[in-house]
Amino acid sequence: MEHLVTLFLLAVSTAIINNYVLHYFVGICPFLGVSKRVDMAFGMGCAVTFVVSIAVFLSWVITSFILMPFNLGILCYLVYIFVIASSVQLVEMYVRKFFPPLYKSFGVFLPLITTNCAILFACLEVLKGLSADPTYGLITAMVLALSAGVGFTIAIILMAGLREEIDMSDVPEAFKGPGIALIVAGILALAFMGFTGVDRGLSTLLQ
Amino acid sequence: MIESILFAVVTMLVLASVMGFILGWANKAFHVEIDPKQEAIQDVLPGANCGGCGYIGCNDYAEAVAANDCAVNLCPVGGPSCTQAIADIMGVEVTEAWPQRPVIHCHAHYEDRKGRHEYYGEQSCQAANMVAGVQGCTYGCLGFGDCYNACEYDAITIVRGLATIDYDNCVGCGACAPVCPRNIISIVPFKSEQIFVVGCSNQDFGKEVKDVCTLGCTGCSGCARVSEVIELQDNLPRINYEAYDPSMDFTASSDKCPRESLLWVGKPGAADLVATANLDTPEVAEVDFQTTVDHTDWRG
Repeated sequence: MEHLVTLFLLAVSTAIINNYVLHYFVGICPFLGVSKRVDMAFGMGCAVTFVVSIAVFLSWVITSFILMPFNLGILCYLVYIFVIASSVQLVEMYVRKFFPPLYKSFGVFLPLITTNCAILFACLEVLKGLSADPTYGLITAMVLALSAGVGFTIAIILMAGLREEIDMSDVPEAFKGPGIALIVAGILALAFMGFTGVDRGLSTLLQ
Repeated sequence: MIESILFAVVTMLVLASVMGFILGWANKAFHVEIDPKQEAIQDVLPGANCGGCGYIGCNDYAEAVAANDCAVNLCPVGGPSCTQAIADIMGVEVTEAWPQRPVIHCHAHYEDRKGRHEYYGEQSCQAANMVAGVQGCTYGCLGFGDCYNACEYDAITIVRGLATIDYDNCVGCGACAPVCPRNIISIVPFKSEQIFVVGCSNQDFGKEVKDVCTLGCTGCSGCARVSEVIELQDNLPRINYEAYDPSMDFTASSDKCPRESLLWVGKPGAADLVATANLDTPEVAEVDFQTTVDHTDWRG
């Protein structure tokens, strides 16, 4: 039970409180690039959630069975980028063969995610957890990955909704385009700061 | 020290070969058959992804052609050479493919139009068209640049209130025609570099046209009487471009016109370039996106 509570708290804190985009500012390129329409943003969010789960799974396996036992922590960046890139390739080929409609709806997003730093960041979080605590399990890592993806999806959909509204409003000439988008992203990040401390409140509530 | 470096290198090499092996296997195992015709068509298409053919992009069009779902001559950007190349790949014959280019059926600038009033509403043709009295003529170009905004190729400029097409830049994607709220842009087969067009859309009778425009067509039908491809319809001469032949002589028609409503449009020829070389370029009015709110103190 206590384990479940810990997992729940981890999920909430990764998805909302320490949102990857709005708290750590990783994964900003798709966050700004694909947030023009809500449906595209949702597609991107789903694709990121999908890929981050696979990448974290693989990197957990590699970290706990190769990197940690052989003391090769210095290789982590290299190995993770390597793993992410090849798993994205593999997944792309697999989806293309067996789920053509899904492949069509993902479109260019899937290959684009190869260079999404939010995914590398999730892998590094797992490495951090593993080096701090060798009992950091696969389930914890997967919860982290899923909630990181969900947090990214929430952030990008909120942003897309706001930008759809901005398109119809009277923005001063100087702020048009990326300028107002960045300002809105900053305000959104400020708003998400309001969640700080929610995890502490939740943990006292649940225990 | 050396050992750990060596160990790291060996680990990376092993990882790389394992991944490479998996990816190589996946490439074979998950291979998707693509019609070789589709790839060949993709190579000959211009790749502009303009959507002029009615498909989402060049790849979609290539897929549809390869599947025999549509005609080979739909790409407006590639023109005849592209159509020929696709036809060769698909093994079909093409007869004739003319580049389709837009023609603006209005040639009155601000100074030619009468009854113009100051308009502070939304600066778009779509909005101005709903308001009476922006200008006298209810058929002609409004000049707020909806077509200018629709054009992805910088081929339309607004010259003193008249949308003007730069046929050097125009690829004929047809994006401008549907956005004109007055439907004065038509897509026409250019059988030669320059073609003969009717430069007016006003369907009113003589006096009413003269009241609103110094250039508008009065519907006198003089041009139609001396040419077999021109006929009068709704008080306007219409040129039948199916029967149009570049070798036809239209001087009789254009001489008959008392209002200079018939004109030649298209890419400038060598003689035109020489004739206009020393002239000043016309003043090009950029569309500025001001709204009513910019002119009032009140904000609600």
